[in-house]
Amino acid sequence: MASAEQPKPGLPTGKLNKAGLMSFLSAQGILVFFLLGMIVFSFFSEQFLSQSNIMTVVRQASIIGIIAVGVTVVIIGGNLDLSVGSMLSFSTVLVVDLHDKIGPTNAILLMFALTLMIGAVNGFLIGFLRLNSLIVTLAMLSAIQGLVLIYSGGQNVDIANQEGTWFAFFGRGYLGGIAVPILIFGLLAILVQIVMSRTGYGRRIFAVGGNPMAAVYSGIRKNWCVFSTYLISAFCVACAALVLGSRVMGSQNNVGQGYELLVLAGIILGGTSLLGGAGSIWKTVIGVLILGFIQNGLLLMGYPYYTQWIVTWVIIILAVWLDLANKRKRLLTTHS
Amino acid sequence: MLKKTIITASMLAVSVTAAQADTYRIGITQNNVGVDSYQTTYESAFEDAAEEAGNVDIVVLDAGGDVARQIGQMQDLIQQQVDAIIIWPTNGQAVIPAIRQAHQAGIPVVVTNSKIAEAGLDFIAAFSGPDNVQQGISSAEMMCDALDGEGQIVQISGQPGYTTAIERATGFEERLAEACPGVELLETQPGNWNRERAQRVMEDFLTKYDRIDGVYAGDDNMGVGALNAAKGADRADEIIFIGATNFAVGYDAIERGEYYGSIYQSPVDDAEAALQTALDVLAGEDVPKMNFFETPKITAENLGEFDRPVF
Amino acid sequence: MTSLKGFFRGKTSIQPIWIFVIAIFIFFSFMSEYFLSLGNITNILVQTSTIGLIALGMTLVMINGNIDLSVGATLGLAASLAVGLQEISMTLAILAALGSGMLLGAINGLIVWKTGVNAFIVTLGAMLGVRGLIFLYTGEESFYSMNFAFSDFGASTIGPIPVLAIIFLLCTLVMHLVLTRTGHGRNTFAVGGNPEASIDAGIRLGRHMMINFIIVGFFAALAGVLLASQMGAATPNLGRDYELWTITAVVLGGTKLTGGFGSITGTLGGVLAIGILRNGMNLMQVPAFYVLVILGAILISVLIIDKKLNAPSTKEVRI
Repeated sequence: MASAEQPKPGLPTGKLNKAGLMSFLSAQGILVFFLLGMIVFSFFSEQFLSQSNIMTVVRQASIIGIIAVGVTVVIIGGNLDLSVGSMLSFSTVLVVDLHDKIGPTNAILLMFALTLMIGAVNGFLIGFLRLNSLIVTLAMLSAIQGLVLIYSGGQNVDIANQEGTWFAFFGRGYLGGIAVPILIFGLLAILVQIVMSRTGYGRRIFAVGGNPMAAVYSGIRKNWCVFSTYLISAFCVACAALVLGSRVMGSQNNVGQGYELLVLAGIILGGTSLLGGAGSIWKTVIGVLILGFIQNGLLLMGYPYYTQWIVTWVIIILAVWLDLANKRKRLLTTHS
Repeated sequence: MLKKTIITASMLAVSVTAAQADTYRIGITQNNVGVDSYQTTYESAFEDAAEEAGNVDIVVLDAGGDVARQIGQMQDLIQQQVDAIIIWPTNGQAVIPAIRQAHQAGIPVVVTNSKIAEAGLDFIAAFSGPDNVQQGISSAEMMCDALDGEGQIVQISGQPGYTTAIERATGFEERLAEACPGVELLETQPGNWNRERAQRVMEDFLTKYDRIDGVYAGDDNMGVGALNAAKGADRADEIIFIGATNFAVGYDAIERGEYYGSIYQSPVDDAEAALQTALDVLAGEDVPKMNFFETPKITAENLGEFDRPVF
Repeated sequence: MTSLKGFFRGKTSIQPIWIFVIAIFIFFSFMSEYFLSLGNITNILVQTSTIGLIALGMTLVMINGNIDLSVGATLGLAASLAVGLQEISMTLAILAALGSGMLLGAINGLIVWKTGVNAFIVTLGAMLGVRGLIFLYTGEESFYSMNFAFSDFGASTIGPIPVLAIIFLLCTLVMHLVLTRTGHGRNTFAVGGNPEASIDAGIRLGRHMMINFIIVGFFAALAGVLLASQMGAATPNLGRDYELWTITAVVLGGTKLTGGFGSITGTLGGVLAIGILRNGMNLMQVPAFYVLVILGAILISVLIIDKKLNAPSTKEVRI
């Protein structure tokens, strides 16, 4: 284990045990946090571990989770996607508004098509024109929000007959006792995880994100790979919009505002590096759930909602730090 | 008879020419158009009203919810030397210095929809809008009636720090404590005027509290979010929902009997009142400082008296 | 006059963003009768000074190859402190506000330095957390300054020029000189261009980065105090999304996200470009919804043009 390594300056004394503990903590770091948090919360609130509460939290987290699955793929491919929040507003407003106008089936199809088109624009600008993904998706964040408002004229959209549409299934339905949003989240996560870990396509995305030059020399068409990650991201956003629109049966124009940051926070908490070429969907699922349980647990304990932000700040840095420290077998960097 | 008509007609003609010669340029800086339908409907109603008035040239700006941008827009309007400024404050306190600058530049300012803090009242010509404290009081009274003075309730408030949200919550809480001490307010969480967020808050309330008899939401948009959550947990029947700013979804829910009541507040009335107040000020009339337009209670009993809101 | 000459010294050609600024300036002068006046131009300067001040510090951080997403929250906290502590003493309030910005910058910098965690992650966390601290401190309330002297300062002028505009331009000049004339400035480029080589050259990398985080924290706090003085108040949501516009302005000004390249003059151009576009579109009464789309489209266009212009020489590092 790591105890074979002589601890470097900066590491706390009490070497062996602490180093061993640290290495365990950081290897399983995020799971440990997860369990620790669950224990603390269940100690303070008796409802916390109730089945209905857990279901509520996972269902609430599933919208962020579904998007995070797609964004994780983009990040593994070496890029970022900050436009998902606006895209979620766009897709939700679109599907809800079109529901009464052209029927649920057509509305869903058109919404998926248009969302994928936006994803294609992102993918084209970043994959083929090689523009910086942070700035492009930042610009798209603004532009898409404008498009939503122009489309709806700034009005809320609603589905008139909420009881009589099968569209309710995606956000409010249950299958075998499990809420449909959770099922969609789970299925998507499993599917994408398999694609990323078991297929040639997944390996190519990892290669492109990890070492773009080497990937190109080995004959991978980098442009298309990057392009496709944004289609996956857009597809996930469209699925999330389906859940969100159906859950609320209406939408405001800014409904997705800020989601991009929560999604990123979840991914980072899970331990996927932002540098590309590494990460996994499982980690993201756990990260998103942690985010959801922090929020819910603090609320149940009676703390105001903004305390979750402070707690998230601390946990994000600790989680990533321990992960890094484990990789370099030391707690602190050697820079001066 | 004929003579009288002619005189009236000529007077009319005179007044029309006078109006044309005397076109007012009025600037409006709004809070955050597009964030919900109320504000968007207000904007188009305002534009319609200005067109109808005929002698008004309007400059319509939107602060996008950002105080700093609104102050910039105030400065731009002062710079353009418009005849009057109508402001829908993004914040009741932070806009006061900008309003004071307009006042010092000799431009009358009408505050619309959401009040500013008292320190700023000296610098405005008038306020025009709903009485949000009264709305909170009315909602508390409805809650009392609906629960017969006994029960446990939760509150979902609007955007933290926003005057309308604070006034409604204050009015509601104070009146509730006074009118029916038997009703206990368990907890208040903000829903940020957002239906999805309110739905999430309510879901958490439902897991946290086994018994909830009533929900007061700062507007119907959030109230319907809470209703959605309660329906999802099969507890909607045991809960009384009361909102404010009656939205079309809230109106329909009252009609279906799922929602107890709300406060009827029309953005069209709001916009027309603001423009009229500004025009009265410009015409040199003696305008009272506070101009509240009617915002009655709406429940299943008197639903028929109101048109379905367009937003 | 010499300082003005020095301001543009060393520039062999005019930066692309300035061509854009001049073009839109001329465009709006023709399109709106209100645009071309001293009052409007000083208004633009005051309105851009908030993002502008933060962008000065952000330029250094980004040339380092780092980023700071927490500046909007830092601004909000500083504004709340500057107003909230005035009951005790005005001087204390302002010092505490500026100090809080520098402290948060130092914390960010220290974490980046000591833990090696990516600055994007560190400051994303801080962006959430510091906003939480603001809500905790203010109890979600807006603070209001009882002292009109504070807001009078925000509205004061020297001659026809608003004090805030003068402060912004002075800070711009100072930061330009720091970046182009001092050892710290040279190191900033060196660190961003090639961190390994800069360590070999004896630059204390961690310390150096931390100083730049303190600088951006200071400017965010200064922007917060000045913004609060314009409002005579502070709101807990103040500064939300400002990090996005600041980064946009810096990138428009030609600073590379990968580090090693950038300039304060370019950043000034980027800030003015956004300010003039917003102001001009307001004057032309472009509906607010379209403004968002236009700003996004312009940003992407600038990126594409920049890519085409710089395509052959991507590897150059300016020191």
